[in-house]
Amino acid sequence: MLQKPESGGLPVSQAKGEKDGGHDGEPQALTASRESPREDLGAVREEGCAEPALTRRGAGALARRRAYRRLNRTVAELVQFLLVKDKKKSPITRSEMVKYVIGDLKDLFPEIIARAAEHLRYVFGFQLKQFDRKHHTYILTNKLKPLEEEEDLGGDGPRLGLLMMILGLIYMKGNSAREAQVWEMLRRLGVHPSKYHFLFGYPKRLIMEDFVQQRYLNYRRLPHTNPPEYEFSWGPRSNLEISKMKVLGFVAKLHKKEPQHWPAQYGEALADEADRARAKARAEASMRARARASARASVHRW
Amino acid sequence: MQGSTRKMGIMTDVHRRFLQLLMTHGVLEEQDVKRLQKHCYQVHDRNATVEKLEDFINNINSVLESLYIEIKKGVTEDDGRPIYALVNLATTSVSKMATDFAENELDLFRKALELIIDSETGFASSTNILNLVDQLKGKKMRKKEAEQVLQKFAQNKWLIEKEGEFTLHGRAILEMEQYIRETYPDSVKICNICHSLLIQGQSCETCGIKMHLPCVAKYFQSNSEPRCPHCNDYWPHEIPEVFDPEKEREAGISKSNRKSLRSRQH
Repeated sequence: MLQKPESGGLPVSQAKGEKDGGHDGEPQALTASRESPREDLGAVREEGCAEPALTRRGAGALARRRAYRRLNRTVAELVQFLLVKDKKKSPITRSEMVKYVIGDLKDLFPEIIARAAEHLRYVFGFQLKQFDRKHHTYILTNKLKPLEEEEDLGGDGPRLGLLMMILGLIYMKGNSAREAQVWEMLRRLGVHPSKYHFLFGYPKRLIMEDFVQQRYLNYRRLPHTNPPEYEFSWGPRSNLEISKMKVLGFVAKLHKKEPQHWPAQYGEALADEADRARAKARAEASMRARARASARASVHRW
Repeated sequence: MQGSTRKMGIMTDVHRRFLQLLMTHGVLEEQDVKRLQKHCYQVHDRNATVEKLEDFINNINSVLESLYIEIKKGVTEDDGRPIYALVNLATTSVSKMATDFAENELDLFRKALELIIDSETGFASSTNILNLVDQLKGKKMRKKEAEQVLQKFAQNKWLIEKEGEFTLHGRAILEMEQYIRETYPDSVKICNICHSLLIQGQSCETCGIKMHLPCVAKYFQSNSEPRCPHCNDYWPHEIPEVFDPEKEREAGISKSNRKSLRSRQH
């Protein structure tokens, strides 16, 4: 079921458009999508012309089928968009999705994103999570458990290991650690901020830019410090992708001890587990309610 | 009408993990794909019989159809190894390359692509590509930097480097064939046997038709007097061997030893 070919499918063929600076790779790829809904309709229109003269009722049914096809097409594009953005691990905003994929179907955003989320879950095993309600930001998490033997793939393993070390330090220091403390720990591991590392590249860039931008870490200036000092804390993505209990377990293993060896952190981790269980139960209940409501609505719509 | 009548397959965690890992790798050779499949069964469904790969992939593709993507099978141009990659069916806006590369890097790729397509041999020299560095869109790029970007393309399996020259990786051909044929309809070369896009291959010196090396191997297999299928003239090039995964496994032949198949003959 190939659509009529669109010009410039690949970013390389696109002339440069306006774009938010600093996001070099993205704008190129994404300019073409502006054309696609229109061209999609064009292709669909061509198919329509081949049909015989229609009664008014027939025309209505045809228009509905076209709209349905277009909706499905947009959902598919959103799925691909989310997969591609997730590879970069940068959170995706609702406005980006509307700008680059959804376009003038934006009133149907809730339905489109719900369907895309279902495809991502069913087909790929990814969960689409909204982690910033105010700014409508989303990330993908993996429902399949990560395996140690798969870590050599894509070079993510070592970097995430480094991240774990930092998250562990932050947690053990009471949920925030000064920048100086982080670098001191890393120096002991042979990792220096500006010295190129064969596994991590330039550690300073990885930690201060990549991890912060990907929302794994928060980096903020400590008030009333002169010269200015900064501290790290867990970013929202870390809270979603890993738990305090898991990180405590990691630290415990490193020190060849049991998690209970640190009663304060252990107690905090237990409380965190209880919170997560409650939140999960609430989310599942509301999802079931929404699914029932949307099932009822979609029967009427099409 | 919307929706195919073909029965849609079922996705389980076996299939999901397989898809995720295939996406991570970008492109895989058939024997690695088989190993990957077995690994996924081991993790999620230890006791089940491992489905035949072709059926396994067709099952997944029937589910992917509504998302306009598919697991596509191709063959490497130099030695006929089967490869698999997840590709977009329709050329829509989002492309895998765009996440990893900046605007000027993507433009460098386009320049290299054009040189490769226009070339006689399917290879573009590093020098010729680097000489175009001043014409790139986006941030200014120095030749030294461009050299590293070309290496990045090779590492990510979009280009293959051989002795200072670059050609398209099988992955790029799988992903971009449709796009290339639409964008360069006049300079694009097509194989006379399989009618797919041709970057590297052999040509008939009389009438000019071209064939992929694996297509040559299959077409002239056990033919002592190979003749051009178009003009019937004697085919002057060395006929490569048909790729045989069994033979390779037994002999433990490493890729680098199969140089005889790689000589570019035009």
